[in-house]
Amino acid sequence: MQRKMRGRGVAASWYGIARTATVDRAGAWAELDDGGTAKVVTGVTEIGEGILTVLAQIAAEELGIRPEDVTIGDNDTARSPEAAHAGATRQTYMIGNSVALACREAKSRLFAEIAAHWEVDAGTLVAFDGALKAHGTNLAMTMAEAVDIAKKRGVVPVGAGHFTAHGTGLNPVDGSGAPWQAYVFGTQVAEVEVDTLTGEVQVLGLWAAHDVGRVINPRGVEGQIEGGVVQGLGQALMEDYRTEQGHTTTHGFAKYILPTALDVPEITSVLVEDPDPLSPLGAKGIGEPALVPTAPAIMNAIHDAIGVRIKSLPATPEKVLAAIAEKEARDAAREAAE
Amino acid sequence: MPDMKLELQVNGRKVTRRADPGQRLLDFLRDELNLTGTKEGCGAGECGTCSVFVDGKLVKSCLMPAAKAQGADIQTVEGLARPGDLDVIQKAFHKTGASQCGYCIPGMVMAATSILREAPEASLDEIKERMGGNICRCTGYSKIIEAVALARDVVTGRASPAALDPETVGDSFIGHNVRRLDAPSKVTGRLKYAGDMVMPDMLHMAVLRSPHAHAEILSIDTSEAEAMDGVACVITADDVPGKDGFGVFVHDQPIMARGKVRHVGEAVAAVAAEDVATARRALKKIKVEYRELPGLYDPEDALQPGAPVIHDYAPDNVVKHIPIRKGDIEAGFAAADLILEDEFTTQQVEHAYLEPEAGLAYVDADDVVTVISPSQNITHHRHMLSEIIARPINKVRFIMSPVGGGFGGKEDMIYQGMLALAAMKTYRPVRLVFTREESIIASAKRHPSRVKYRMGLTKEGRITAIKFDMLSDGGAYGMSSEGVMRKAAILSCGPYEVENLQVDTTAVYTNNTPSGAFRTFGGMQAQFATESMIDIAAERLGLDPFEIRRRNMMRAGSLTHTQQKLDSASIGRVLAAAEAASRWEPGAPRMRGPERGDLGGPGTRAPCTLGARFEASKDGKERVA
Repeated sequence: MQRKMRGRGVAASWYGIARTATVDRAGAWAELDDGGTAKVVTGVTEIGEGILTVLAQIAAEELGIRPEDVTIGDNDTARSPEAAHAGATRQTYMIGNSVALACREAKSRLFAEIAAHWEVDAGTLVAFDGALKAHGTNLAMTMAEAVDIAKKRGVVPVGAGHFTAHGTGLNPVDGSGAPWQAYVFGTQVAEVEVDTLTGEVQVLGLWAAHDVGRVINPRGVEGQIEGGVVQGLGQALMEDYRTEQGHTTTHGFAKYILPTALDVPEITSVLVEDPDPLSPLGAKGIGEPALVPTAPAIMNAIHDAIGVRIKSLPATPEKVLAAIAEKEARDAAREAAE
Repeated sequence: MPDMKLELQVNGRKVTRRADPGQRLLDFLRDELNLTGTKEGCGAGECGTCSVFVDGKLVKSCLMPAAKAQGADIQTVEGLARPGDLDVIQKAFHKTGASQCGYCIPGMVMAATSILREAPEASLDEIKERMGGNICRCTGYSKIIEAVALARDVVTGRASPAALDPETVGDSFIGHNVRRLDAPSKVTGRLKYAGDMVMPDMLHMAVLRSPHAHAEILSIDTSEAEAMDGVACVITADDVPGKDGFGVFVHDQPIMARGKVRHVGEAVAAVAAEDVATARRALKKIKVEYRELPGLYDPEDALQPGAPVIHDYAPDNVVKHIPIRKGDIEAGFAAADLILEDEFTTQQVEHAYLEPEAGLAYVDADDVVTVISPSQNITHHRHMLSEIIARPINKVRFIMSPVGGGFGGKEDMIYQGMLALAAMKTYRPVRLVFTREESIIASAKRHPSRVKYRMGLTKEGRITAIKFDMLSDGGAYGMSSEGVMRKAAILSCGPYEVENLQVDTTAVYTNNTPSGAFRTFGGMQAQFATESMIDIAAERLGLDPFEIRRRNMMRAGSLTHTQQKLDSASIGRVLAAAEAASRWEPGAPRMRGPERGDLGGPGTRAPCTLGARFEASKDGKERVA
């Protein structure tokens, strides 16, 4: 075997969106505000995934204004409606749809007033990027003017929305049930180089194709995939929380090894859209699913490169070298027998 | 306390302060000057979040005593651009979406600044190498590196400054790369995380943690600690007025150890004092008498008859067992041409969010007990705390501060209860910031797993039956184990339609660090086993790994493992997309790496050759570079 060996592996995956085997719910409030801006209130905040930007995009699209015109009031059990937790790949799906529904209600209040003001059918009104028009007419105004008119007519354009995902519990005997109403699928291909002298594995390329339902923010989705892949890579190759008799021996980042910029492969994200038919937005999610196929894709690539299967994560250099030695011993024994 | 007069320049302004000579530069900047853009991620110089310039040199401020900065010229992230403005690097981070949770980002921006100052023409490899001392847990670094390269190109004139402008929108904001709204506050260090927040009259908390994995608590004597100057209160389980117990599924964990400790690092008592140093000194004055108990450290041992019992309510040490049955596995295996059996294990994994746990609690004017923390589940935390402190639910308020990385690890209410109790006892704001070591021993990990797998297939590669048995170490408390086992079971056999299957997932109690929610919630452990098995099957049957997956994949109308009928299944599309994007060369996975023609093309990087590097010199000899 040469010192540096390369190979490729693939792994597929699936995942459910929002809480598991239960009814999931979330709520949101919206108000079209002075200046053609908006307030959106929801009970969760950013954990880094970009949800506030996603919600601002959704609100902007639904209300016909710009994302930067949206102020998001969030994160407070005493001031905002329940959005439940920030996890389970549920933020875009649960909160995003709640915000969309709240915004639709607020907008319908505004449109009813403007339709009456212009004496047109509310169904002819379209708003985008801060401009409001009546389709098939020359009537146009800014959303700032529209809000002003609605208020002068005595109406504050507010809305509330909630979204439900109808999962069912599992039968305690055979586990049957419908745990989620929306599923996503993914496939990743990893290309690795194994240094058979040191046992080090480098992931050089990773192609990640994921169905996210509908892409709200492409860069945001890529960021989730890249982050998930690198966490998966860490688990595949180096991360290992260890205890001895309950005492950790990996109590800091000198002992608990994490991937750095030098470990990262080139990552090619391919975003596939299979819209969810059961929700207003059609978007599903990507936070967790991005991580699922990474480790097995890397292990399968290691096998392709050097013919050994690492079945116990992580594939540390020590484990890779031991597996190579075992394979060589096995091959030698087979040759001797032949 | 000895102190010294410190005179230095910070962000171009002269600063004179009396300071504790033992104080770290990091604390001096954050606590004395309120420059909280400089973050503490590890306190050991390993993560880079606290990077600042000292006399132009990038330094990890957690490793530098403030006293050594006497006369120095310090620049922090707050000093890079005029207030309210962004410099080129910050704009580039904004443009590419380089910040996610944002906690590592000030350090990343400082490291990037150092690159552009010292090596403005740095190659991509050099950028990665120079960023190698800064850890990010969210982004996978890709967009950070892209941002640094973009800033480099703008600075060197290779790209127009217009490259930093936002993309223009077409006819929809959906599907558009709207720049992150929170990026400007993150790239400038302006965003306040819980550990950056201060309130007037605020106390500081420190937590006494168990040195034992399993021990009975015979007595706790807090009197000496309580008598110390500067100590406002000491709390233990005795201070809990309501029904003690929290957990994502089963409420088996007390706010602080009650009667016994079940893992090393479990909270036993907490002190709120005028400053952190006093609080930590007071911990040493708390006397706890323990009687050690036999411990459990392996999930197999936990299931043995006569094993020590960790929780009285679960005499068999089982947190949760989830069974899934479909079809007839005996018939399925009888119909198989090939039966594979194997075993797979995965390790415990630390979330390693860069922001250690932190929180601030107070009782407001309306007697509402308020906790500000990066909790991933303020709704459930409010419910649980209301019962624990025996107050009506509208008198409990949770505010979710910006989360500096969560990944599931901040779903457990492992410290908010202590903050609430201390605030209620003192009627003063109380803040707690974990050290990295504390975070590692006290917070949940990804469940380790052992999967015993049996798969039957026809010679055409159709799966006829699967028997899947997973055992997981849940550690000392239930946390999310129940849900993790459920999700692992539901997803276990992967995106394939399998007519006959028997799946069991079980989590047990041990005296190890608890396992809990972690991105994929059991999904990756289970599917690692399945995807490895499928590859082994492809190898044995001489099938291309994409092809064997296609032969088994779910389709519209398929019944999942839990017998749910799918209206659509995009697995065929994502398989095709990955196959095309990677220019996959078909073939069975029989160590064909050496012969493949699809290696090293677009979408790959060159191998990293860090370490001893050799350069060929003119005379043809290699030398260490």
